[in-house]
Amino acid sequence: MFIKALPYLFTGAVYTIWITAIAVSLGVIIGVFMGMARISGNIILRGFARVYIDCIRGTPLLVQILIIYIGLPNLLHILTGNQMPINVYVAGIAACGLNSGAYVAEIVRAGIQSIARGQTEAARSLGMTQAQTMRYIILPQAIKRVIPPLGNEFIAMLKDTSLLSVIGVEELTRKGQLFIAVTYAPFPVYLGILLIYLAMTLSISQLVAYAERRLAVSDRSN
Amino acid sequence: MIEVTDLYKSFGKLQVLRGITTRIEEKEVVVVIGPSGSGKSTFLRCLNLLEVPTSGEIVINNVSVTDPQTDINKLRAEVGMVFQHFNLFPHKTVLENITLAPQKVRGLSRAEAEERAYGLLEKIGLAEKAQVYPDSLSGGQQQRVAIARALAMQPRVMLFDEPTSALDPEMVGEVLAVMKDLPKEGITMVVVTHEMGFAREVGDRVLFMDEGQIIEEGSPENIFQNAQHDRTKTFLSKIL
Repeated sequence: MFIKALPYLFTGAVYTIWITAIAVSLGVIIGVFMGMARISGNIILRGFARVYIDCIRGTPLLVQILIIYIGLPNLLHILTGNQMPINVYVAGIAACGLNSGAYVAEIVRAGIQSIARGQTEAARSLGMTQAQTMRYIILPQAIKRVIPPLGNEFIAMLKDTSLLSVIGVEELTRKGQLFIAVTYAPFPVYLGILLIYLAMTLSISQLVAYAERRLAVSDRSN
Repeated sequence: MIEVTDLYKSFGKLQVLRGITTRIEEKEVVVVIGPSGSGKSTFLRCLNLLEVPTSGEIVINNVSVTDPQTDINKLRAEVGMVFQHFNLFPHKTVLENITLAPQKVRGLSRAEAEERAYGLLEKIGLAEKAQVYPDSLSGGQQQRVAIARALAMQPRVMLFDEPTSALDPEMVGEVLAVMKDLPKEGITMVVVTHEMGFAREVGDRVLFMDEGQIIEEGSPENIFQNAQHDRTKTFLSKIL
């Protein structure tokens, strides 16, 4: 049963990887801006980023998924009187992306702040603008420090996408449940699911370690 | 060239500068000395607005630094700064460290910026290090590159914030040697340092600061041999 389930589960795993990749990419885009906003001199930007990050990190992803997929159409129905269902994949990716954005924002903020103040001062003292300093001096250095925690975020998000099974996104966990419903063989199938998640997360940590080594080399090569 | 009027700076409740007024002429070399905590570094950092003064006015080249309307980036391009801890960009080669700002701020082409950089590297004796990263250089070499990086902007004023304090003693000389050449090129210099030999040899004027004020100023001979204030004498007796 375990062997029979595998091909079926793999199709789910492909969805899991895609959803994670898109959600984390979305998260990185949101996170870079939110992370910079979080330490910006502008009090409104800073406040906005802070509220966003605190709200997302202070609430469960499962509830965030439910409020976007089920709550939001309901709200729109109340406001407009029209039924506007959201595509389940769009809702799932949006929820995960927004969630990831908050965590990435904190990673980006820490990365930027870990670059010594002297770097900013040196760049600014040469007449470079704040934006130039960010782009040419701070971010290139911050990226290297941010890669390991971003890898962790990717792994965490990959595991968390299993929550999307609740709203019916046919990712790995949901595929497994569907298979169990037909075959009544929960143990081998859940074991299969577990092992596939493990294989994926271990592969990602290998990739991150490799990327880290490559970046470390580029630091020193002449 | 530089006019400072009634400059105050506080960090929270701590008053670091308490009414600094002085005038630095074009091509003058001014050495600022004083005990640690006297506000000399803060004074220097106010000159290019790395610290924003609490009150008072600074005018450089007839441009008010402290006026919020002033384009501070434009001003900073004319005022080079060398830091105690070098602050070279570790992810860029020596050459890139020197060519970045001239390209991005001055709009030089890469070829022009590199030509200028090689000229400066030649001058500081590090032409063969153009392609290496800063972390493979000694402290003295890094500081020389930092000076070249600031000079690549062809500033009219150079600020030095304890440029030799973080160096091993045997490397102090090579950095001072580079600095000693600058007045010949007509660059106005403000140097915060504990190197009294440098002050004597190169300085046109010495400012002695304590507790956020200029206690005494004058030619190096005057200050070192003939200090008027007790605080100056006490300080000098400890370090000379």
